[in-house]
Amino acid sequence: MTDLGTARATATGLRVSTQRLVHIYRSEGHEVAALSGVDLEVGAGEMVGLLGPSGAGKSTLLSLLAGVFRPSAGKVFVGPVELSAARDRQLDELRALEVSLMLQGAGRNLLPYFTPLENVRFAQGVARQSGKDLPEPEEVLAGVGLVAEAERPLSELSPGHLQLAALAVAMAPRPGLLLADEPTSQLEHRARDLVLERMAALNRELGTTVVLVTHDPDVAAFLPRTITIRDGRVGGEGRSGEEYAVVTPDGFLPLPLHVRDELLPGTLVRFHLLEDGSYTLLREEGGTDA
Amino acid sequence: MRRWRYRPLQAAAVVALAALMTACAAFAPLYYRAMQQALTEITIDNAPVLDSSVLISVTPSDEFSSAPVLPPEVVANKLPAEVRSDFHEPILSYSGRAEVLPGERTDPVGELVWRSDQCDHLEFTAGACPTATGEIAVSPADVDIFGFDVGETVHVPGAAQPDGRAPVLDLKVVGVYRQVPSDYWFGQSITGRSGVVSLDPPQVIQHDVWLTPRETFESDGTRPDARSSSAGFLIDQVAVGVDQLLELGPVIDDLAHAEPELGVTPANVVSGLPGLADDVQGQIDQSRVTVPLLMAQLCLLAVVVLWLVLLAITEQRRPEVALARLRGRGRRGARWLLLAELLPITLLALVPGAVLAVLANWFARRVLLPGSVPFELGWPFLAALVLAGIVLAGVTAMAVSRVAREPVERLLRRVPPRTSGWALGATEAVIIAGAGGIVVVFATGGLDGPIALAAPGLLAIVVGLVLAHLTTPTAALLGRRRLRRGTVRAGVSLLDAARSPATRRIIAIVTLASALAVFSADALVVGGRNRVTAAQQEAGAARVVEVRGNELAELRAAIDEVDPDGKQLTPVVRVLPPGEQAIGTLAVVASSFRDIALFPGGTASEAVWGKLTPPDVEPIDLVADELSLDVDDSTLVSHRTDGESHPVTIGLDLVNRRGETLHTTFGVLPEGPADHRRFTQRVSCTEGCHVTGVWASTLPSASLEGAVTLRNLTQRPSGEVVPLGPADEWTPYDVREDGTVTPSSNTPDDLTVTFDGRGATPMTMQQRWLPTIVPALVAGPLPPSAVGNRFQLAGLDGELQQAAQVGTLPRVPASPANTFVADLDSLQRGHSVLATDQLEIWFADDDPALLDRVRTALDEQGLAISSTTTLADVRRGYDASAAAWSLQLAAVVGGVALLIALLVLVVSAVSGWRFRTRDFAALRMSGVPRASIRAMAVAAQLPAVLVGVVAGGISGVVGAQLAMPIVPLFATAPEVSTLDLDTAWWAVLVAVLAALAVLGTGSVLIGRALAARSELRRLRETL
Repeated sequence: MTDLGTARATATGLRVSTQRLVHIYRSEGHEVAALSGVDLEVGAGEMVGLLGPSGAGKSTLLSLLAGVFRPSAGKVFVGPVELSAARDRQLDELRALEVSLMLQGAGRNLLPYFTPLENVRFAQGVARQSGKDLPEPEEVLAGVGLVAEAERPLSELSPGHLQLAALAVAMAPRPGLLLADEPTSQLEHRARDLVLERMAALNRELGTTVVLVTHDPDVAAFLPRTITIRDGRVGGEGRSGEEYAVVTPDGFLPLPLHVRDELLPGTLVRFHLLEDGSYTLLREEGGTDA
Repeated sequence: MRRWRYRPLQAAAVVALAALMTACAAFAPLYYRAMQQALTEITIDNAPVLDSSVLISVTPSDEFSSAPVLPPEVVANKLPAEVRSDFHEPILSYSGRAEVLPGERTDPVGELVWRSDQCDHLEFTAGACPTATGEIAVSPADVDIFGFDVGETVHVPGAAQPDGRAPVLDLKVVGVYRQVPSDYWFGQSITGRSGVVSLDPPQVIQHDVWLTPRETFESDGTRPDARSSSAGFLIDQVAVGVDQLLELGPVIDDLAHAEPELGVTPANVVSGLPGLADDVQGQIDQSRVTVPLLMAQLCLLAVVVLWLVLLAITEQRRPEVALARLRGRGRRGARWLLLAELLPITLLALVPGAVLAVLANWFARRVLLPGSVPFELGWPFLAALVLAGIVLAGVTAMAVSRVAREPVERLLRRVPPRTSGWALGATEAVIIAGAGGIVVVFATGGLDGPIALAAPGLLAIVVGLVLAHLTTPTAALLGRRRLRRGTVRAGVSLLDAARSPATRRIIAIVTLASALAVFSADALVVGGRNRVTAAQQEAGAARVVEVRGNELAELRAAIDEVDPDGKQLTPVVRVLPPGEQAIGTLAVVASSFRDIALFPGGTASEAVWGKLTPPDVEPIDLVADELSLDVDDSTLVSHRTDGESHPVTIGLDLVNRRGETLHTTFGVLPEGPADHRRFTQRVSCTEGCHVTGVWASTLPSASLEGAVTLRNLTQRPSGEVVPLGPADEWTPYDVREDGTVTPSSNTPDDLTVTFDGRGATPMTMQQRWLPTIVPALVAGPLPPSAVGNRFQLAGLDGELQQAAQVGTLPRVPASPANTFVADLDSLQRGHSVLATDQLEIWFADDDPALLDRVRTALDEQGLAISSTTTLADVRRGYDASAAAWSLQLAAVVGGVALLIALLVLVVSAVSGWRFRTRDFAALRMSGVPRASIRAMAVAAQLPAVLVGVVAGGISGVVGAQLAMPIVPLFATAPEVSTLDLDTAWWAVLVAVLAALAVLGTGSVLIGRALAARSELRRLRETL
């Protein structure tokens, strides 16, 4: 594995946290709640996947973390900055130096008339002007394995290479937080794995916090931590292959999907503390043990 | 460069549009300037040399009689030095009086002249140009008439000596000259006076101008009696442009009206330059608004189109702007990202735009404008370029800022939010209300002047915007309805059109461009048509020549010789009575005049023209130097008011060949009845006369009653008897106040005349050959003195004749508005031609060969042409005007407007082709046949184009109706208006077809090209 240009610039991962995050889309008199009180904690240098069905609010959450949207309610913290209260200039600065957002579709992350090298240089522009010590664009591209393709027109690159170029561009200013929306969609398996490997390496070697949205179970399996967003809330969490329900700050406990099929709305349950300190969930009214 | 290479067609389109806008802006001052120069050149060219030059002469008046004649160089120096370079070297001259001694009545008097370089402008038929003191050259006429041949010496008085004695100056004839016509002579003829008695008193016989060298006037010995010295300045056309001419006007005016200095002989300045300068200035003022306004519309169109195209392009760059924002570049960084791409290419367009303007100006100078207009790039051109640059930069910056300032979340949307409802946006509402308001003010007459040229454009903006606004929701509505009914192809096309922002701008721009094209075509054709009709009205015929003198018979003989059928030539006599309010008469040969003369706007029917024909009665002809007449069975009696009887005098009116009436008395009848009398009278009818009247006279106020029979009118010396009957060849006289004179006949040869007079004398009965009432065609109202259709017109002899209106004419060719038209034969019967009548020959065509034949025939009759006017000359005069050239510009505006609209179609396709081809590819993926996709691709744009062309056509026609009455069509309005502002429908049709051909074909080709690119691989494209 390459050193990813760490000799001169090692990113410090940013902690991400949200509190009671609510986001409502308003359009032509209609209001749709995309997020309905999301509480999330991502530690600095973590690599986290956001999972969930379409329309669950994953991309909205990602956009809120990038400061693209202002939340309708609640708070978003990226490092020390509370995004919901940040001014535009502060957000611009944050995006230039600390937060990179990879949009879905590689092409949307690249200026089409530039080569990968020029795109990286463009992405580093503001950070470099502000005095941030950054690796040379060639080094950034080498970090994702795009040395040979550095100066080729984008139209000549394969989809996998384009995604790697988009990743290089996103990592060009050595951000503390990388937000990626479906970075491996539309990619074949080999390309997908390559992109994931590179992201993991960046996370590992630079300490960059990575939050990515995915639908792909294989990608989810690759990630050390996943957060499932369901109906605009955190519906569960996976760590090292284990699925957990997450108690909200209000003390609510969203049921896992397979349990919810069993416990229909209105069902009474009771928590029974066992001697070993674990709980048993008991269904009342003649029900059986869950 | 790389950014442009990525989207080369877009870059090319932006450059093309920006270049067009620049060209429009830069061309306006170039054309305006070229027009001024052409106008100046034409004005000077067409002006008589005396108008385009300056002639300064100094003639010591009585007050300064003791002063010697100034040397001509001193006279020349009176022209201010700052304008000397506008003229050629002055032509200096001395002029003196040369009275041939001994001064008998037969000794001629004339001028002795020296002009610098005179020998270069003379030809010598005998001898040589005089070069030594006392030598002169004379004209051939002087040789013929006075015998002043080469070698002769003539004696004239020399300049008076101090003692008052005038020595004799001997002048030796050394050459016989012929004047070579050129501007050198300032339009003066130095011959033609030989043998002619001067009109001014004292009336003397004149000789032609004698030419002598300067030394004669400046001799130390006896000098001629010099009267004046002068300096003539011919304008240097190469050196004088519009600026110089406009400067010259006031300078020469000041010189002409300068207060004479005390003790200095005042100079007489003759020049038409101030008038020419005023004329040019007037036309410049007229075009000062027209040209910029026309070009401003085109500029505005180009700017609007450029704005829309830039909006489309920047809209397409939304993802890139979003990317810049996501990379922390902020709004300013995003703006610079786009400006770095777009600003260089829009500003780069200044170069091709300037070149295009120069080329267009070159074309205009070479093809459209007459003369050799110089190439000039003045500061207005540079200012226009700078202005164009500012506008281009401003438009680009505004379009870029519009996208760059959007929030990131909106920029990231794949489909930007758009309004598709019926409500108007604020900007659209303001534009529609503003433009619509101005149009309403135009329509209600609240505004006038050349600014009216903007009316069609403003109207089209209103119509285009409203239509564009309505089209999107309408198309969406119809599209959904079609889909519900299962008409997929039409439904998809309509929805595609409704979804595309290009639809709105295509409708708006095509409407505006089509309106400009239609208005331009209409204005051009209406302007041309009016110039043609004005020229026809002014010229009268293809060629009109004026003939010197008043010998009508000889003139008609010459015409008959060249064109006996009257198909090519017709004689016209213009009777011009004195007085400003007097109404002239145009005497014509109705049958040929109707065919040869030009009648813009139509003429009376052949039947009406036929009513002008004189009575079809043979005249009573005779040739005699003496006539005898038998007067029989007279019962004529006359009683004075006191009751006493008075003798009655009998006579005949004879008209000779020249039309002069010979009021001939035959004799006095005795008082009371008389059986027979024979009277004999000498008459001047050896060349022939007509008997036009029988009359009897007595004392004024005395009654006259009774009858008398006239017979045996015998001509001497032939002895032939001329029959005076029968009675029906005579017109009874019956006027209530005067009485009656009635004819009757017992035999065809006799004529019995019954008089019943009530005091009028003489009482005359006219032969029917002589019309008593002249039928006439009238243009305009009858004079106030008219009774019914009866009025009086001026006859050939200037006398008022009774006339009756038998028809009307819209206008009389080459004549003032209220001229009467009568038959020449009718007017000629019994009337002579006055010297003040103008004899003309009108030609059916201006064939020079025909003119030569006429000239020869006239020459044989002893007549000469004094001037000739052709329709082509007059037309050229109208065409060579700022007003005409301004309208030529309208055609350019129309053509370029269509070109711009075509560019909009191309740019719309180019800016969104990836998305559209991807949509079509998706349709192909779902099984829609290729032919259907092609049809849908074409149908998505073509209806918008068709709607725009139709709406634009209507706007153009309506706009023309508003604007044309105020558009200046002529430099100065013609004396007789032939104005016809009816819509030139064929021009409108051609313009609409041209718009359909250019834009419709373009739209179809673009649609097919998009369909051809809708391959399935487009679905995989992400870039």
